[in-house]
Amino acid sequence: MLLDSAPTGREPDRHSRVSTLLELRDLSLGYGSTQVLNSLNLTVGDGEIVALLGPSGSGKSTLLNAVAGFLPIHSGEILLAGRNIATPRKAEPPERRDIAFVFQDYGLWPHLTALDTVAYPLRRRGVRRGRARDQARDILDRLGIGALADRKPAQLSGGEQQRVGLARAMAREAAVYLFDEPTAHLDAPLRDLFLAELAARRRESGAAAIYATHDAAEALGLADRVALLIGGRVIQNGSPQQLYSEPVSVEAARLTGPASLLNGTQSRILVRPDWVRLGGDRTGVVVDVWFRGSYTDYVLRTSEGELLVRTAAPPAHERGEQVRWSLDRCWPLPNTEAACD
Amino acid sequence: MRSGRAWVGAAFGLALASAAVLVLIPLAVLIRTSWVEGRGHLADVVSSPGFGSAVVHSFELSTAATLLAVPVGVAIALALRDPGLPGRAFWRVAVLLPVLVPDFVLGYSWLMAYARAGLTSELFGFAWLQIQGPVGVSVIVAANAVPLVYLIITVGLATRAEPTTERAARTSGAGPATVLWTITLPLLAPAIATAAVLVFVLSMGTFAIPQVVGAPAGFATITTHIYADLALGSNPQGFVEAITLALLLIVITLIVVAPTEKVLGGRLRIGRAAARDTDWPTSGRITRVIVTTALGLYLMITSGLPLLALLSASITRAIGVPSTPDNWTTDNFLTVLTPRTGYALGRSLLLALAAASILIVLGSLAAALGRTPGGRSLSVLITLTLVLPGSTLAIGLLIGYGRWLADTVVIILIAYLAKLWALAHRPMSAAVDRLPPASLHAARVSGAGMPTALATVVVPLLRPALIAAWGLCFLTALHEVTMSSLLYGPGSETLAVVVLNSADLGNVGATAALSVLVTAIVVLPGAALWVLTRPHAPRLSTHRPRA
Repeated sequence: MLLDSAPTGREPDRHSRVSTLLELRDLSLGYGSTQVLNSLNLTVGDGEIVALLGPSGSGKSTLLNAVAGFLPIHSGEILLAGRNIATPRKAEPPERRDIAFVFQDYGLWPHLTALDTVAYPLRRRGVRRGRARDQARDILDRLGIGALADRKPAQLSGGEQQRVGLARAMAREAAVYLFDEPTAHLDAPLRDLFLAELAARRRESGAAAIYATHDAAEALGLADRVALLIGGRVIQNGSPQQLYSEPVSVEAARLTGPASLLNGTQSRILVRPDWVRLGGDRTGVVVDVWFRGSYTDYVLRTSEGELLVRTAAPPAHERGEQVRWSLDRCWPLPNTEAACD
Repeated sequence: MRSGRAWVGAAFGLALASAAVLVLIPLAVLIRTSWVEGRGHLADVVSSPGFGSAVVHSFELSTAATLLAVPVGVAIALALRDPGLPGRAFWRVAVLLPVLVPDFVLGYSWLMAYARAGLTSELFGFAWLQIQGPVGVSVIVAANAVPLVYLIITVGLATRAEPTTERAARTSGAGPATVLWTITLPLLAPAIATAAVLVFVLSMGTFAIPQVVGAPAGFATITTHIYADLALGSNPQGFVEAITLALLLIVITLIVVAPTEKVLGGRLRIGRAAARDTDWPTSGRITRVIVTTALGLYLMITSGLPLLALLSASITRAIGVPSTPDNWTTDNFLTVLTPRTGYALGRSLLLALAAASILIVLGSLAAALGRTPGGRSLSVLITLTLVLPGSTLAIGLLIGYGRWLADTVVIILIAYLAKLWALAHRPMSAAVDRLPPASLHAARVSGAGMPTALATVVVPLLRPALIAAWGLCFLTALHEVTMSSLLYGPGSETLAVVVLNSADLGNVGATAALSVLVTAIVVLPGAALWVLTRPHAPRLSTHRPRA
């Protein structure tokens, strides 16, 4: 499935109902006396990428480790393709789960070349050595790192190592792919490269995945659905646009993008920087100007609080200057029936 | 920075002077003397009775001990990865027991347990009659070496064959056995090789166990032969023979160690443990039962029974008499608690204290110089002293300084300093590596001069390592018998030598009582230091798992 280069026709249709491939039901687990996941529920549909977005310590890695079979669960269950793969009593070992894993610190083996590393899952499936190495070479070529086949991890850069890790996961041809903050140790250009690569592979294969990250932009850009994980619970689960425009709480708002919180009459009002326009009937004073290259951020002090405004233009105002602004839209928090100012 | 360079220069001078006095001069003198004295007699020496068999026995012993200790040590290190193993914290300490017990005590207690008229004979009716031959000595030496292998492999598991490599293999479709074979063991290969080389050369130079266990039955090794040659009088041929054997030992050591150092080089530096203790996979219940039982049996056989037998022999009226309450007595202890023993104890404690204190200075010095070009050569030299056979060093010291220092405690102190320098250097070197690189500079840039910066920033950070290194040197110096037995004179006996002599005389009860005494004196401070340094050992603390 994953090795065909032509689209398989299994393009995930985001608007129709997809069948559930992976399900986590009332999952709880912890270390010693610390509870990390609390009665967590999550589903991943066939061909879906679900981003698991949350701050450090929220339980993202723990969740992935439990799904992979590295950790025992205390209560609840995990089902893959309708079959029970983990309960508190009984758990299938990792090698028998139809799952592939991409690690944050790459997880490469110091003593194996890139080629042998990618061939490893194929060999475990019983593919003969010669054929396995050929198939591995194909995968490395498709990721653009065929020239690195005979290098060992010590001779690879971080970005190259992570791509070898991805290639190895692809060789597994699994039903579900688990990504544990794979770009955490990569700098910006390498991160973009990796994500582009990932998106391309996804389009080809239509495989399902859980992608854990603390970076909102990464999550929103990559995923079909975003699950916001805070304190071991999924507090919001929806499309990227939903999470960005309609977060359920102040914390959710802060985690899903740049957020300004203004004081409304009955509740706080969430204003994203792209929801504000300069010019209009309200006034504020420029406190800070940040030129970011392709856009400019202004921090305004207003009567309702501090406001971040983003414009796709070079800086046109100075600190201390009084400017006018208006809202295109807003979102009250917590979400009540109260109209948004 | 003139002052900076002056400091480094002074430090280097001191280190070089120490190296010369402690190691280089004795070795040079040894080589020169053997050339001058031994040249003509070489043929006689080599063909003398016992020479050939001693050499063969040493090789047999080292090979057998390595083949036994390495697999066992690897197995134990692998077994103790399981975070959920019942009693894991206990096993990890218990495995290290032979480190705390002096090796002559270990050897003697095995005799008490398994030899004719020993504990097993009394309890179960059978005894291991061949214990005093090559097999027995090899087994005991191996049992003594297992903790070292275990420690080296554990470091390898934490820094190279770490949990992620295992997890990556499991999610690539490999079962636990396949992971072990294709991933873990290959990644542990450098550590296993290092462990094997160390066990081999240390077994080559081991003295106490062959002396206590093998010598009475006529099983001689190079080291016991040297001891016999020197201890039995002023026979010049004996002296030449001893020198020849000593040189042979060091040549063998170098041949085995040098290529390994080159190949493995710095790869087995004791760096920061990258893995978290809880990341290792857990085993199934049946595996756990098997592992726990195996561990229990192993510890019982290698440490438990022997020490029990030793205790029993020390409080039993006479050998061969059943160890029942009506035969229990304190006579053995009273016999040995003589002024002579008291002085020996005092001497041992003083020597160990002095040695440990001086060694942490020397070790820190060498560690601090480690980054400089000369410092690296110094590090290599110091590492070689770790495997330098004690017998060889002792003879070198005797020839080099014997004229002024023979039969004094000073020469014994010098021997300890030379031999144990690496024991202080390694932990300090590792600790210095772990120092946040900018900490010293941050202090200087905040206005502190070099001495203030060192005292207020570096020393506090290094304090746990300093304590651990001090403790390790103290314990090892207390145990030391190889060099002490060759260098002591009337009035400079150490406690270890007293025990050895008692064993030589064949007085079982007294020797057992002395051994218990020595062990208690060594184990109690050792245990205290362990408790004190535990919070600082990174491997043993539990981190909050990242989510």
